Amino acid sequence: MKKTILFLTSIFFCATLTLAQGKSLPNIDVKTLQGKTINIQDLENDGKPMVISFWATWCKPCKKELNTIAEVYDDWQEETGVKLIAISIDDTRSMSKVAPYVNSSDWDYEVYLDSNSDLKRAMGVSTVPHTFLINGEGKIVWNHKGYIDGDEEELYEQIQHLVTK
Amino acid sequence: MKNKFLTFLFSISCCNLIAQNNGQITGDFSLNLQSYVEDAAINAAAADEVVLNNAFLNLTYSSNNFIIGLRYESYLNALLDYDSEFRGNGVPYRYAGYTIDGLEITAGNFYEQFGSGLIFRSYEEKGLGIDNAMDGIRLKYKIGKGISLKSFIGKSRTFFTYAEGIFRGIDAEIDINESFELENTTKYILGGSFISRYEQRTNPKFIIPQNVAAYAGRLNILNGGWNYYGEFAYKINDPINSLQENQMNYASGSAFTNSLTYSQRGFGITAEIHRADNMLLLSERERTGKAYIMNYIPTLSKPHAYTLLAIYPCATQAMGELGVQLDIFYKIKKGTLLGGKYGTKVNFNFSRINGLEGGYSMLNDNQDHSPDLFDFSQELYYSDINIEINKKINKNIRYNAVIANQTYNKDFLEGKTPGEYGVLNSTIAVLDLSYRIKKGHTIRFETQALFSKQLETASKEAEGDWLMALAEYTISPNWFFAIQDMYNYGNENESKRLHYMNINVGFLKGSTRFEIGYGKKREGIFCVGGVCKLVPSSNGLNLSITTSF
Amino acid sequence: MNRFFYIIIATIFISSCEVIEGPYMNGTIDPIDTTNNVYVKNILIEDFTGHTCKNCPDAARELDAIHDVYGSQIIGLAIHAGQTFARPYPIDPTGNPDEKFIYDFRTSWGEELDGFFQVSANGLPKGMINRIDYSSSGDHRKDWGEWANIVGDELSKDVLFGINIEINQTPLMLSDQFDIIINSESLSAMSGNYKLVVCLTENNITNWQKDGDNDDESYVHKHVLRSFLTPTFGEDFASEEINNGDSFSNAYSPVISTLENNNINHSQNILTLGNGNAGDWDLNNMYVLAYIYDESNNEILQVEEKSLLNK
Repeated sequence: MKKTILFLTSIFFCATLTLAQGKSLPNIDVKTLQGKTINIQDLENDGKPMVISFWATWCKPCKKELNTIAEVYDDWQEETGVKLIAISIDDTRSMSKVAPYVNSSDWDYEVYLDSNSDLKRAMGVSTVPHTFLINGEGKIVWNHKGYIDGDEEELYEQIQHLVTK
Repeated sequence: MKNKFLTFLFSISCCNLIAQNNGQITGDFSLNLQSYVEDAAINAAAADEVVLNNAFLNLTYSSNNFIIGLRYESYLNALLDYDSEFRGNGVPYRYAGYTIDGLEITAGNFYEQFGSGLIFRSYEEKGLGIDNAMDGIRLKYKIGKGISLKSFIGKSRTFFTYAEGIFRGIDAEIDINESFELENTTKYILGGSFISRYEQRTNPKFIIPQNVAAYAGRLNILNGGWNYYGEFAYKINDPINSLQENQMNYASGSAFTNSLTYSQRGFGITAEIHRADNMLLLSERERTGKAYIMNYIPTLSKPHAYTLLAIYPCATQAMGELGVQLDIFYKIKKGTLLGGKYGTKVNFNFSRINGLEGGYSMLNDNQDHSPDLFDFSQELYYSDINIEINKKINKNIRYNAVIANQTYNKDFLEGKTPGEYGVLNSTIAVLDLSYRIKKGHTIRFETQALFSKQLETASKEAEGDWLMALAEYTISPNWFFAIQDMYNYGNENESKRLHYMNINVGFLKGSTRFEIGYGKKREGIFCVGGVCKLVPSSNGLNLSITTSF
Repeated sequence: MNRFFYIIIATIFISSCEVIEGPYMNGTIDPIDTTNNVYVKNILIEDFTGHTCKNCPDAARELDAIHDVYGSQIIGLAIHAGQTFARPYPIDPTGNPDEKFIYDFRTSWGEELDGFFQVSANGLPKGMINRIDYSSSGDHRKDWGEWANIVGDELSKDVLFGINIEINQTPLMLSDQFDIIINSESLSAMSGNYKLVVCLTENNITNWQKDGDNDDESYVHKHVLRSFLTPTFGEDFASEEINNGDSFSNAYSPVISTLENNNINHSQNILTLGNGNAGDWDLNNMYVLAYIYDESNNEILQVEEKSLLNK
């Protein structure tokens, strides 16, 4: 038992060390709405930042977040070149509703399906929504759990901070 | 002492490894403490331990093609809504894997799903207390263009042990267009899967198959905005190991699910039909309880997020049901009369699920029954017709409104004696209004009402009508405060016309979330994805911390 | 090469299933040859149950079916326990009396066993087969579907003790007082601590039972636990070094009506929601049941049963 604790503590210690350097995206496959398999590490945005947002069709705050951003997404893209990637964790019960929901909502995001929650687990996401900001080198520089009204402004400040740095 | 030193050395070398190999550690942690006080009015029990605890820590180390992970879990003792067999501490989940030339190898624990899960799904759902992770070996292989294979062998987890059944599985998927380099606008993806379970069984009276197999085929056709998905599954005879003739069922099982979707900008529609007959696949054939279920028939109903809409949820009946569902999403354009300045989003949903004619398939020396394929006239289990409108009125005000009519066969779905509660019909209205006071400050009100009646006379008193109100104040990016009350004002039993009040405060910073709540929970059915559990009523203080790194 | 490898795997998998064509009944069952032994290995199935537990009759019928196959080697003990399914009705404080499930089958010993083995807290029906696999994670609680398989394995174990129950009534005794002598004998050399438990059961009690979707007024409750004559966890009987052939004798002189009154009082005054409705015992249907278990792992090594009136 003590050994486990010691081991976990040292791992934690290492984790904090590596945290400062910024993490890369894991080597995990997701599916496009067209059924094509894509590795999440292959996503890129010409050296500009990317936002990865975990969501589900049954999750109210997730939809609120993504709908709110959708209204200002054109401006964001124009000013910073940011790209938003929406990862749906809908399982097979609601997977068939992802495409109709996304299309009917006029979202311009790239949407991927993570129906076995592999990516969700690999990125340490326990609840949705959970939003990650990825810099031009593909490192995670900021992340935020949950969504409350107004959080998109903080996210945008972080994006601007990245671009002007 | 020596051991400690070794562990320390090992950890240090791990650390070096991490630094040198460009590796990284991710993980998440969650703690849930709940105190329980007795409350006779709502039939809530106090826990002997006073405070109960569920906690877990996930750690994943990954470097280039290599990955290891583990989860430490602690139930001291498990919360009352958890199975009490979750007891104690341990590391029930650990694995290592690497990928080389398109071959991915995992040893240890893994989660896997074939197709939509009709014959196999190993997954975790913390909310339900389900974790049937496999322990064994899994290989995934991408053969050339568009073909991928998965295969595994292992045992499935139940609480802190493993169920007896040994599962072998293989799944293949081929993207026809990619494989044959077709320049076609229509895309075809074909898949097939096979599962076999071995359990050593002896029975002095009946012949028992020790190797039980299930297989499924699936087809996905995509063209522009159109998408068809169909999956068909079959399971061979899988009787339990009883000595009673009428308990022995040698019938095979079957299931299918079909969905057809069309969407374009501003509009989407999904139509679905599914049927399951004797299609429960368990990790030990004789066991009862959701911890042993190894397949998943996706539920055909909308997963509702509002409390009163989810009071009477739909649970999938893998032993036998037939259902249909229709979903329409539409966005009324900006600048029109109904669309207003920002547009109005409308979602219509209809679902209906009924039983099979004469029940599920049954076959033994005395009985032989197989129900009709499509018979929508049988006993109704669940139906839901609802419409949801989401609208932003101006910069500061937005609302979400839902109106629904649900029919819920309480006797059947909750395993009661017929005539106890009968079938309930409820009309539910929800208005969710949020108002932005100033930058970062938002106040939100939810009002919900449920009007319910028993469709036939029943021997037990109905819960009847409910009202619910919630006020939530949020300060972005860190705080939220919420107070809510549910009032069962229409309970036929006047002594049970009670208020269930809850207060919650949360603090969020980056990837950490603290929440503290106090209040009463009603006894009810809680479901995720059509898998349901009974949550006992409770009264007490709750503290939860979740964080990821 | 790799494709070839996968084809082989696929072939192995697909051949691994057994589709069975009727008839499904295996036919003959070979009775165990007992001619050379004085004692045979008997199995105790403790069936934790409740009269408002709708799935419990399935378990009771399985016990019957196992008994039909293996005969007197299978001894059943129905323990009505817990506050959910075994409590008597009516209990609704607002009235609304339900005259159906008003009998209280529970006993203090049954409740204590249920608490120790954590059975009803994890849902009924559940049973223990000779109490094997005892562990804090609950491996000793067996779903009825598992029983037949386990019984098959248990019967092949060596018989370690022989039990012989002797019941006498002398003219000096009350009409419902009995001299019960448990004579037991070790059948191999052993070391360990063993305990003896003696209890009384009543067979064929007709009373209400929820059975699937029906409330059955004339359900026959079999081998229902009535009373213990020893403490719940038995009394010291043999310990440490035991030689092959060692014999032991333990005697009890219970007065049945006293035991009956004890149960009535216990139900009335101590049990949660109890109502004292625990009487009407019938001597004609009563049995003495004795078992010996190993204290280190709770496993029951031998069990025997005999009709009180030597019927």
